[in-house]
Amino acid sequence: MVRVSKEIMQKAATLLSDFLVCPLSKQPLRYCEESSSLISDTIAVSFPIKNGIPCLVPRDGKILDEEDASKPDNNLYDAVNEENKGRNS
Amino acid sequence: MMRRTLFSLFRSSSSSSSSSSFSTNSKVNIFDRQLKRNQRDRAAWLMPQNDPLLHTVADNLLDRLQDVKKTFPSALCLGGSLQAITRSLRTRDAIQKLIVMDASYDMLQRCQNDYHASNNPDNTETMFVVGDEEFLPIKENSVDLVISCLGLHWTNDLPGAMIQSMLALKPDGLFLAAILGGETLKELRIACTVAQMEREGGISPRISPLAQVRDAGNLLTRAGFNLPGVDVDEYTVKYESALELIEHLRAMGETNALSQMNTMLKRDTALATAAIYDSMFASEDGTVPATFQVIYMTGWKEHSSQQKPKRRGSATVSFKDIQTQFGNQS
Repeated sequence: MVRVSKEIMQKAATLLSDFLVCPLSKQPLRYCEESSSLISDTIAVSFPIKNGIPCLVPRDGKILDEEDASKPDNNLYDAVNEENKGRNS
Repeated sequence: MMRRTLFSLFRSSSSSSSSSSFSTNSKVNIFDRQLKRNQRDRAAWLMPQNDPLLHTVADNLLDRLQDVKKTFPSALCLGGSLQAITRSLRTRDAIQKLIVMDASYDMLQRCQNDYHASNNPDNTETMFVVGDEEFLPIKENSVDLVISCLGLHWTNDLPGAMIQSMLALKPDGLFLAAILGGETLKELRIACTVAQMEREGGISPRISPLAQVRDAGNLLTRAGFNLPGVDVDEYTVKYESALELIEHLRAMGETNALSQMNTMLKRDTALATAAIYDSMFASEDGTVPATFQVIYMTGWKEHSSQQKPKRRGSATVSFKDIQTQFGNQS
C-alpha cells in the first residue's frame, strides 16, 4: 500500500514538473503536502487535488492571503481574466 | 445570428490585445462555462458506454494519426468525447504519456474508473487533470500532440483557446480538433423557431451559435498553425422522436449553455417543437433525422523541417525559361 502511494506521488511529481503550470500566470506550481493542494506562488492561489486529480479551473482556486480571503471568488476570476489578457497581448 | 455572434467572438479577443482599460467590459461571454461544467457532470452519469456518434467522430479524428509518420511520445487530450478518444489512444504504442483534461470532475472520474477497470497491460502513463480550455494549465513546449474531440465549440474565446494549445505544443507538434459546425441541428433550429413564433409570438436563442466551415481555416492560421487542413463531415442520426434527440444531447452534454439563455421553456412550446419537427422533417419510416456537421481541423506548430513558400519576389528563374527548358527536353 505504501509502495503504491509512493508510486503515485512520484507520478504526480513528474506530471507536475513536466507538464502542469498555473492556468492563469503559466508559472510553475508547488505541491503542498499539508493541504494536498497545488499552490501558484506568483498569484498566491491554491488549487485542490481531489482523489488524485488536480483541479486547475480558475474557479476552483482559492486566494491564500488573509486580507483577500474575504473577497468572493468572482473577483479572483475577473482579476485573473485581466491578467491573462495582459499576458496574451 | 450565428455569424454575428462569431464576429463578436473575434472582436472580444482582438480587443484584448489592443487595450486593457475596458477589457473587462468588452469581454463577451456567449457561453456559461460553469453551466457547461454542470451539464458535463450530468452527462458523465447519463452517457452510454458506446455512443455511436461520439465513437464515429473519435475514430475519424484518430484516423488522421495513421497518416502521420511521426510518433508522439506525449499527448494531451481535451474535453468532449473523452472516453472514446482515450480508449483508442491507449492502444497505440507510440504514446507514452497521456494527459486527459476536462472541465468536469465527474467525467474524469468516470474515465479514470474506466482506465483502472481496463487493467492496463500497456505502458501508457495516463494522468487526469481538471482544467478549462480557455485557461490551459499546460507548460509551453511540453506535449507532442493535442487532441480535442467535440469540446472546443463551447469555448467563449475559440482563437484564444487554440493559441494556448499551440503554445503548449512542442515544435513540429500536431493539433487535431473536431468541432460541431453551423449546419448542426438545423432541423431543430427551424422547429424551435417556428414553435416559438407560434406559441410565444417571438423567438429566443435555443441553439448555440457554431463556427462555419470557412472560419475554421482562418482560426487555424490566426492561431499560428502551419500547414492547416480543414475538412467537414455530416452525420445524420435518426431518432424515434424529437424528445429522444433531446435525451441524446443531454447524455452527450451538448445541451444549450448560452449565458443569455431564457431558462423558461413552456411545456406547450416544447411539445409544439416536437410536433413541428415531426411534421416537417419526419422520413417515411417514421423516424426523425438530425444533422450533425463536424469540422475536423489539423495544424502543425512551426518547425524548420516543414515545407514553406519562398519569399515573394525571390524567384530568379522566369516561368518562360522553364517552359522552353522542359519544352526542349520532351
